[in-house]
Parts: sequence; C-alpha cells; structure tokens
Amino acid sequence: MKLQDTKEVQTEFKPKILAFCCNWCAYAGADLAGVSRFQMPTDVRVIRVMCSGRVPPELIIRALANGLDGVMILGCHPGECHYSEGNYLTRRRSHVLKRLLMYIGIEPERFQLRWVSAAEAAKFTAVVKEITDKITALGPNRWVDKR
Amino acid sequence: MKVSSEEVQTRVKKLFEDGTIAHFIGYETGSDSLRVTPCFLKSGQAASRLVWNPLCANNLSKYLLDFKNVEGRVGIIVKGCDSRSVVELLKENQINRDKVFIVGIPCSGIVDREKLLEVLGVSPGDVVAVEDDGDAFLVTLKGGNQRVEKEKVLRGECLVCKYPTPLVYDVLLGEAISSLPWVGDEYSLVKEQEALSSEEKALYWNREFSQCIRCYACRNICPVCTCPECIFDKKAPRWITKANDVSENLVYHLVRAFHVAGKCIDCGECERACPMNIPLRSLNKKVEKDLLELFDYTAGIDVEQQPPLTTYQLGDLDEFL
Amino acid sequence: MITPRIGVFVCNCGTNIGGTVDVPQVVEYAKNLPYVAHAESNLYTCSEEGISSIKHGIKEYDLNRVVVASCTPRTHQPLFRNACADAGLNPYLFEFVNIREHCSWIHRQNPGEATEKAKELVKMGVAKARWLDAQEEFKSEVYPTAMIIGGGVAGMSAALNLANQGFEVHLVEKEPELGGRLLKLNRIFPINQDPSELVGNIVKSVEGHSKIRLHMPAVVKSASGYIGNFDISVDEGGKEVSFKVGVIIVATGAQVLKPELYRYGELANVLTQLDLEQRLKDGELEEFKNVVMINCVGARIPERPYCSRVCCMTAIKNAALMKEINPQAKVYVLYRDLMTYGVEFEEYYREVKEAGVRFIRYTPSNLPQVMGAERVESVRIYDELMDMELELPCDLLVLATPLIANDDNEELSKMLKVPIGDGGFFLEAHIKLRPVEFPMDGIYVSGSCRWPADIRESIAQGYAAASEAVIPLRQGLVKVEAITATVDPKICKGCGTCVLVCPFDAIELKESEIRGLEGKIVSEVNTALCKGCGLCAAACPNGAIQQRGFTDTQLISMVNALSGKR
Repeated sequence: MKLQDTKEVQTEFKPKILAFCCNWCAYAGADLAGVSRFQMPTDVRVIRVMCSGRVPPELIIRALANGLDGVMILGCHPGECHYSEGNYLTRRRSHVLKRLLMYIGIEPERFQLRWVSAAEAAKFTAVVKEITDKITALGPNRWVDKR
Repeated sequence: MKVSSEEVQTRVKKLFEDGTIAHFIGYETGSDSLRVTPCFLKSGQAASRLVWNPLCANNLSKYLLDFKNVEGRVGIIVKGCDSRSVVELLKENQINRDKVFIVGIPCSGIVDREKLLEVLGVSPGDVVAVEDDGDAFLVTLKGGNQRVEKEKVLRGECLVCKYPTPLVYDVLLGEAISSLPWVGDEYSLVKEQEALSSEEKALYWNREFSQCIRCYACRNICPVCTCPECIFDKKAPRWITKANDVSENLVYHLVRAFHVAGKCIDCGECERACPMNIPLRSLNKKVEKDLLELFDYTAGIDVEQQPPLTTYQLGDLDEFL
Repeated sequence: MITPRIGVFVCNCGTNIGGTVDVPQVVEYAKNLPYVAHAESNLYTCSEEGISSIKHGIKEYDLNRVVVASCTPRTHQPLFRNACADAGLNPYLFEFVNIREHCSWIHRQNPGEATEKAKELVKMGVAKARWLDAQEEFKSEVYPTAMIIGGGVAGMSAALNLANQGFEVHLVEKEPELGGRLLKLNRIFPINQDPSELVGNIVKSVEGHSKIRLHMPAVVKSASGYIGNFDISVDEGGKEVSFKVGVIIVATGAQVLKPELYRYGELANVLTQLDLEQRLKDGELEEFKNVVMINCVGARIPERPYCSRVCCMTAIKNAALMKEINPQAKVYVLYRDLMTYGVEFEEYYREVKEAGVRFIRYTPSNLPQVMGAERVESVRIYDELMDMELELPCDLLVLATPLIANDDNEELSKMLKVPIGDGGFFLEAHIKLRPVEFPMDGIYVSGSCRWPADIRESIAQGYAAASEAVIPLRQGLVKVEAITATVDPKICKGCGTCVLVCPFDAIELKESEIRGLEGKIVSEVNTALCKGCGLCAAACPNGAIQQRGFTDTQLISMVNALSGKR
C-alpha cells in the first residue's frame, strides 16, 4: 500500500470481537446458522462454554483490557437454561459489570448480553451483523491509549 | 454524651478481668498527634493505651481475620461502618460470632487529616488533640484552640454515612445516633461522574490508573478482601502480569471492585491507604449504587441476606446491547 | 511437567471447509504455534482414514494433546475422543476447533478473511489444549431397583413395566388401597365400563407380582443421594422402612378442586363431577328431573389460568348418563369452551347432543347465577347465541372443577430436590423434548402430578417414565462426563459462594480431612450430582473451585491468544 490516493478511504477497520456461547443454546444456534449457510461478517470469534454462567466477569474485563474491540455473552433465554438457573446469574453479573465498564469510559456497545436459542440461527446471524456494524462504527478499542 | 478514652479503657479492663475476652483490638495514639493506630492487647494491664477520638479512622474488623485460629475470645471496637464489615465477614463464614466480643461506639464523623491541616493552615506538629464537639471538631493547637465545622474536614465516607450506629455489637458505649445532619444524596459524586461523556471518563480513569503503583495497599487493608491466596498473586491462572501498566492496573481495580461487590460498605480505608491518592471509593460507590438500584441490596445490614450475585429474581433486567 | 506436544489435524471436509478456507495455509500456521509438534490436513478427519491418521500421528510424533479443526464438537467430539483413547491418549487431552459451521460455511464470500479467522480459531484451540489435563470419568454403579411414588394407574403401569423387565420395584402408596382416583369413578368413557373392573386387573397384577414390593399405606419420609444410589426412608404405618434404589418415578396424581363458587358446600344439591361419580357408584343419587352442569368452575381464571383437560369429557359423559338414567330429564351443560379433541371425543359430543343434552355457552364476564334458598332451584344464564337471559329449572347442579396439585407436592419436591412449576404441579426437564424426566438425573415423572391427564395419558406416561428409568437400570453404570467442578482445599476460604450458586446442590461446606488442613471448612463437590455448568467457577473469587475442561487458565489462554497477548 505505497501509493495511496488521499481521497481513498483508509484500510477499513476490522474489529476483533469475542463471543462466549453456551453449548446448549447459543453455540447450537451458531451451528445452525452455519448449517443454514447464513452469511455474516468475519469478525466474531466464538469460545464455547457449557453455560453462559461459566463466563467470569473478570474474563470480560481482561478481554477488553487486552484491546479486544467487543465482547459478547450469548446464552439461553431465561427459563430455558439447560442448568435451570445459569443465565439468571449471568444476567445479574452482566448488568453490574456493564454499568461499571461504562462508568470508567468503555462504550456500552463493547459488551453485550443476548439470548440465542438453539433454533435461532437467524437471531445469531442478526446479532453478529449488528454488533459488527456497531463496533466498526465505534472504531478500535483505544481505552488503554487514552492518557 | 460523648464516649471518652477513659470509658473505653475501663470497659476493656473489666472485660479482661471477668474473663470475657483474651485479646482486644482497639486504637492507640500513632506516630503523631493526628494519627491513631490499631492497638493489640493481651491483657487489661496496658488498657490505658487505648484511645477513642475523631481520629479513629481504621476499620479494625480487618484484624479479626488474624485471630481466626487463636484461642480465646477477641474483643474489638467497631464504629457504624466497621460493624457492617463485621456483618459481611459473618456472611462469608470468615469469622465466628461467638469468638468475637463487639464493643460498638456510635460515631459522628472522622477527621480527614489532610483536609484539617489545609483548613487550619497548620502542620501536624502544631496539633495537640482533636475532640468531637457536636457539629464541629474542637482542635487543641499549641497556640490555642480552634473550632472547625465538621463538614469542612470530614472524611469522604463520613460525608455520606447512613449508618453511624453499629448494627451488631455485644455492648454499645454512648448513645445511638440515628442519622448525621450533613448527609444528603450519598451518590451525588457518583452521579456527577456518570454524567461525563465516555471520552471524558476514559481520560479520567486512564489518568488515575496510571498513577497506581500496584502496592496492593487497598486490597491488603480492605476488611472484606479475605482470600488468603489472592488471584492477583497467582501465576496459574495468570489474570494480570507484574507489569505496572495501565491495562494491568485497570484489570486489577475493576476485578477487585467486582469481587467486593455486595460486600464493600464504604469504610474508605482503601482510599485512605492509597499512597497515590486514587479516588478508589468512586468505583466501589458506583457498584454499591447499582446493586441498590438493580437489586434493592445493601451490604452489611442483614447477615441472612444473600449476596446479590448469588441469587436472582425472575423480573431482573434482561438482555441488552 | 511433561512438555505439551500438540498435534493439529485440520479437516478439509471435502470442499465444505477446503473450498473456502485455505487449509494448507492453516496447517503451516499451526506448525509455528507454541507447543505444536505436528500439524497435518485430512480430507475427512471423521473418516476411517482420518481417524487412523490421528492414531498414527499420536504414536509417530509422540503427541500428548490433539486438536482437530473441523466441524462442530456437538457431533463428532465423542468420535475423536475415542480415537485418542484407542491410541492410548486420555480422551480429555483432546480439543475441538470449529472452522466449518462457525467459519467456512458462513463466510463463503470471504475466503481470505475466513482463512485468517480459521488460523485464529486454531491458535485459540491450541492455546487451550496446552493447558488440558487428563481426566477420569466418574463412574457409579446403579442399584437395580426402582421406587415409584403413587399407586394410581400411572404408578402401577410404570411398576408393572419395570417389574416385568426383571427389576425390583418399591411401590409406595399413601392410601390403604391401590387405584388412585380411578377407584372413585363410576364409569369410564367411552365404553362406560366400571373402573373397578379395569383397575381391578391391574391391581391384582401388581399385588401378585413377585418383583413388586408394596408399601401401603406409606409415605416417603426422606430421600437422599443421586442417580443409581438413592437412600430412601419410608414411614409404613408407624414403622420406618429404609431401602436403596437406583431410580425414582413420581406418580402421585392430583386432587379435584372443591370450589367456593356456585354455593357449593352450602346447598345440598350442588355437587362436583367427582361427587356425582361417587354418588352414582354408591347408588345414592336422589331422583332428578332437571340437571344443570357448569364447566370451568374455578378453572381458566386469573388465579388458575390453565385448562384441566379431563373435565369436559367427564361432564359430557355424565350428562349422557343422566339422560340414560332418566330419559325425560332435562340436562344442560353450561360451558365456556369445549375440549373435545380428536376423533372419538368429537363424535361422542355429537351423539350426546343428539341424545338431547343441551349445551349453552357462557362467558366469564357473565357467569351463571344459582338461585334458591335451601336448595338450588334454578340457574340463570345469559345465552349469547339467542341473546336472552334464560332461567333453567334445576334440582341437581354439577360443577366441573379442575384437577389441582396435591398439597404434599411441595414437601415432596423439597425432599427429592425436583422443581415445581405453574399451579404447584411438578415441572419436567423440557416441555417438548423431555416430558417424563426431571432435570435431576434418575428421577422421572408421570401422570396428573405433572399436568392433568386422563387414564390413557396416565398409563402412556407411566410406560414412558418406566422406559426412561430403565436405561440407567439396564446399563448398570452411570458415567459422568469429566467436566465437573473440583475444589482446591488449600485455596478455598470456605465462604460458601459456590454452594449458594450451584443449581443442583452438588456442593457442600465440610471440614477438610486432608493432612495439614484438618478442621478447615472448605467446599466439596459431589461429582455424581455435578452437572458441569461452571457457575461455581465463575462465582469463586479466588479460583479455588474450577471446572475441568473449562478452567480459568484455559479460558484466559484463549482470550490472550486471540488478543495477541502472551
């Protein structure tokens, strides 16, 4: 990329987004999106956990401090958790964490909690598209650079 | 009716004499006239060392953890805030109620050393004593006395204190105080901070966290930070590196704020201990406010109340962006 | 600590992956990842060829960890784990990376980016694999016996089913006779058979069966343990009887609501349908000329919004019976909606209408009114279709009330640690996919105690519960996937947070018996009860409790790998 027309748009920012998906619902929903060949942006990376309740808030903080542009927790709809209560706890933790992150200046879009059931391939796709768009618009996570 | 140092000394002597306690944790004069330090007694003989005055900032409940496996009952002085951390320690099974004898003293405010020196324009050497005088502090200086309005020199946590009287005790010295007159909206500073833009907030906290030298004084002095092996000291899993840089400092402070969520009772010791004057209380106060708003939860009030993040309601706030 | 030697096998899956992701590039990339001793690609890693190349690779390159990058672990994880086991490698030293459903299939227009993503996903998988530990699955023997609580048709059907398969069954019934609510009924639709005949045969089989041990009258006093190993204590007529079982089936039925409406209990000639059945059975029904039946009494209202399913047919059956007994009698059925589903019910309804029973619809906003001083004399109802208020003379008022949960459901649910749902009925594991099981392994549910059920449904569910229950009984062994929680008692501070968050009561605070830690209160996980959700691990402040296969170290390593942090 040596000669660049100054009017040309810079290399587009491609965010790096982490999605924790619970094995029984969200991960299965993501699988179904794959089986259905729903196409979507390439910026999300999934980490499989058995339950969204496994995701420790510390890990979200670590991920954002590392410079990841966005983190999501995707779990079962309330009332449908395979372990009956996991997502209720995830919910509480996520709200407290969310507010704390916002308080120190991390944009709210960078941490998301969504429910995706095993059948909701379309919702998974929509969520991936939505968050990719939102975070691309926000730009890179530069929290740590602000001195 | 003010509680005097003498009253405390007499009471403690008696507690040793009649065998109620085998140890006592109280306050004694520190390295200068404006400092008070924890005092550990094994008998009533040295009880005359004990003091009680508006400089008694320390939350002594932290030291109860050291006496967990020691023989005999431990006596301790608690103010209103300290008693709430005792409640949290009981909730977490970190102390045994029957092994502790709690002397509660209602508190009407602790002096912030730096504020006092600034308001009076003196240095520590000029100060002889500080006494509680209703809505003001009576400061005995070498060159005479001065009356200072409390609101001007109180510690930050005292300005918003809702629990001046201990909630748990075996004996209460002095009279219960129902409320402190200067306390208004306890979350006004948090709300001011919330109103800033993301950019402003990020700049602010970046600046503050860059000051942090990771001395861990805040963690070490916090009475509800009770893990004998802290995750930040571990190599596996390695949550933060030893590097003293903003991203590691950020993780440390946010995770700690999260770990004490529902346990922090705003005793202010973390901020008092911080050598870099980082406004740590702001983070914990924010979490405290959210727990109250989201889950109607207040720490340190009821031993039976379940920690807010270990339970749920069907009507809790749901998925979000 | 043995140095990890990770083998990476990247699958082409024909062209499913290879057609979008540049598999050779991913393999080259993998070779340079930390601790990777070998990397190769396969056409179909799940094929015989692919499996043998894994086994071969383990031996040839002395691998002690295997990563397969292919489809979703939800299909082939057991296959690859077994391949590792066959080659002498502990099956839990295997990690699956999904580069098909989560990559090649969803990024077909972006092969370049898909390849980069695949590389990163492999990097994360390798980072986790480095921290995997060998695990042994917890195995527990299953007692070849079952306990069935409830001796109605559901319970008896389940009991006979299991006993006929050769398993010992303890049948616990709290009344002094078997048969449940069926015993109180007069006639069963559609054949108008006397239930004592129907039930009588089943009861005889149960009582005479050599494999069924009857506890009657008896109530369960305590139940503890886990699938394969339940310790039960039963109060049998004042005597305490204890035994062990491998599985439990709950079939305690339901009760009929006695309403506080339409002056039931106040006037002598107001009955519930069940009362009517009993009077008919005992031959104690007075003469009648005008019968009015009201359906949905105390049902489908705000405090009890459900439909009890069996009452409409009961009312229609009894209405027909009234006509049989006294063909001259006027019989009215006042209904809100009629649940006469299927072929037989709808046909019967038509026949009954043709026999002269009149059906009048009412709405909850215009409830029928009962008139009369000492006895019911008439019922006023607003007939929507005719837009008229009618006053029906009445000398027998019969109310169809719903089945409601038994009073002791809550106590039983606490004892067995099984959930209660709407209306106080027991709640199954999944309303569609697991209708006769509880979320707790080894405990099953059937019949009206789960939801109002008629005889046919109760028997079917009894059989269904028995066939689910027989699975662990036959296997004789319960294996728990090694993703359960484990506590390091040296670190644990006994705060009890994990105990509070565990949905399965699988964690207890106990005094440690480990040398050097004697007397220290720490958490202990009952591996048989642990379901491997990981809630405890996330809640623990100092990482004392971890979930095997999803430890903090493993998860952090994946996050760091993705963010390029060491």
